[in-house]
Amino acid sequence: METNKTAESKKTGARERILTRIAKANARPRPSPPPLVPLEAIFPPITNPRQRFLDECAGNLTEVFQTANSAGSIEALKIILSTVPPGEIYVQNDSKAELTLHLLRDAIRQLRPLRFSSEGPPAEATQASLTLAHGFVAQTGSIFTSSSCGGRGASIVPPCHIVYGRGDQIVPDIAAALARVPSETPGASYVGLITGSSRTADIEKILVQGAHGPRRLVVILES
Amino acid sequence: MSAASQEFLRKAIIKSSDLEHRALIQKGMLSYDAAHAKGKSRFADWEGARARCSAVKAEGIANLGKYLIEFEQKIIERGGHVHWAENAEQANDYVVDLARTRNVKTVVKSKSMVTEEIHLAGALEKIGVTVWETDLGEFIVQLRNEPPYHIVTPAMHLSRRQIADLFREKLGEDVADADPGRLVAAARVALRRAFFSAEMGISGANFLVADTGMVALSTNEGNGRLTTSIPRIHVVVAGIEKVIPRMSDLAVLWPVLATSGTGQPITTYSTLIRGASIAGEPDGPREVHIVLVDNGRTELLADAETEEVLKCIRCGACLNICPIFRQVGGHTYGSIYPGPIGSIFTPRTDSLSEWGHLSYACSLCTACKGVCPVKIDLPKQLLLTRRDFIATGNVKPAQRVGFAGFRWATASAPRFRLVGWMGRKALALVNALGLSGTALDPMRVWTKYRSPMTLPKQSFRAWWKENGSKNGNK
Repeated sequence: METNKTAESKKTGARERILTRIAKANARPRPSPPPLVPLEAIFPPITNPRQRFLDECAGNLTEVFQTANSAGSIEALKIILSTVPPGEIYVQNDSKAELTLHLLRDAIRQLRPLRFSSEGPPAEATQASLTLAHGFVAQTGSIFTSSSCGGRGASIVPPCHIVYGRGDQIVPDIAAALARVPSETPGASYVGLITGSSRTADIEKILVQGAHGPRRLVVILES
Repeated sequence: MSAASQEFLRKAIIKSSDLEHRALIQKGMLSYDAAHAKGKSRFADWEGARARCSAVKAEGIANLGKYLIEFEQKIIERGGHVHWAENAEQANDYVVDLARTRNVKTVVKSKSMVTEEIHLAGALEKIGVTVWETDLGEFIVQLRNEPPYHIVTPAMHLSRRQIADLFREKLGEDVADADPGRLVAAARVALRRAFFSAEMGISGANFLVADTGMVALSTNEGNGRLTTSIPRIHVVVAGIEKVIPRMSDLAVLWPVLATSGTGQPITTYSTLIRGASIAGEPDGPREVHIVLVDNGRTELLADAETEEVLKCIRCGACLNICPIFRQVGGHTYGSIYPGPIGSIFTPRTDSLSEWGHLSYACSLCTACKGVCPVKIDLPKQLLLTRRDFIATGNVKPAQRVGFAGFRWATASAPRFRLVGWMGRKALALVNALGLSGTALDPMRVWTKYRSPMTLPKQSFRAWWKENGSKNGNK
């Protein structure tokens, strides 16, 4: 008990001492900061977000299946799964997913063993995951996701991550996606922009896909 | 001369004449140069982007106390723990204690320079915890018992053949053709086992976001994601200077960091962490601890001249462009942070007399100043480091005599003429006697590896008097 108390006071001491040193330095008068260069001047304008998203995905090796309706999306999912090795598929099934993913889920129920996000994290042997996203970023071809899209592991543990979304979820740029973080992901413990599959160039600067996470990132984009 | 300084000179000679090493670095840097140039071309105004990043980081530093407290409060509100450490020992003690009380046997780490700086892995291994570096490059140098060669690409000094040999010896994996894809796959298998057995994941932070209380982490391989998703405890170790005012600042910081680091438009996994997993989430850590490390940073902040060094976002661009780094490589520096930024940060935060010599590993070409995405005046900081290194008594007697002589000779025109005349005569004599490049040659530093320079017959002033007007000059 005594040692705990000492440790606690030592800890508080460090905080106070650091903050005192910082306060002293921060009190020093500084020239007023220059105005921030506006983002519109920094990045070229995005005139056609959907086309930009598709171009960026082609560049970062995200596979995109454009579909017209849910029947088309089911077809796309079946094509994708035909190239995924046999084994379990991890599916997001919270209340939001219940409304949008049930058709896709029911369509593959007969083909694959499914494991649901409500049952816990994906197993290491899971072959693919199927989740929703909060949005898509045209500027970088990114998936805007969070732990409320089937948890953290769904987008990083399986070798293939399949994201289902609609064209109207495309936002022009990173700034727009970040602006939606508070409303889209209230409280979620993890938020992320995912741009392409897991990769490394640590060996002789040669790009290798599927370092630790998915080798494939696939988007089913329904109009 | 400190031992580290002698070691630098010894290694610099070996490395700059190692042809295999030169070829590897050349190849790596050329591929970076191309990617970096292409990345910059995606911006409408790259200079504007740099100016904005610089302003954002400067704002964070100028209000560091306010933003750190704001960040801390947000983290604590969501059940996270924040620990403040004045030095490496306090930071390590906290994490070691945590590992002990939570019965941690295995730790997975994603790449973090500050944990290298405080030698956290060693402290954990001392109490019997197994520590896995999970960034591929970092994993490779860990297997070799080496520090990282570069702050972004830690194993860029190794060929695929050397890595294949290493994996055969240490992992029992035989990748005969040394194919990078198969080497990565072999490492993935070994590290997956580590991820799923570890009780604690340790990461760094690229940014600490004050207004939303988030830890921003950028990772391409996804090891940072696994480190922060699978183990039940997540520990973040971050320097106090990582704090930025607003989440919206990432709209420019993320693309600029990625472009400067690797030439990418944005890092593959650009991640924000609010804390431990909440009710209803299927996975994620149950505890999050954030260790805020000072370790000399408040000393940089205390001086108006040096506080800009804290803007650094550790992108590695100044290393990549530096002609010295490209010749001598990352390990020659002997410090955790190599290259231009390391030659400022290390002497300033660790020991000026032990590391001050690194500020001379610079030709003042100013290339680093031109690439720094947060516009740190690196050449000026290197000069300031030299000034303070000398002021603390780290000056050789020969330098003292030499500069006193220089000052005397340059303070009057007749003296300058006299010394110039003597110099030409003396060097002509040295060359005539065939002593060029020997210990008796005052120009030995130059002539050791080069033929002697042709000496002019007259001074520049005399030449100008005769020839200057010929070209219409007065």
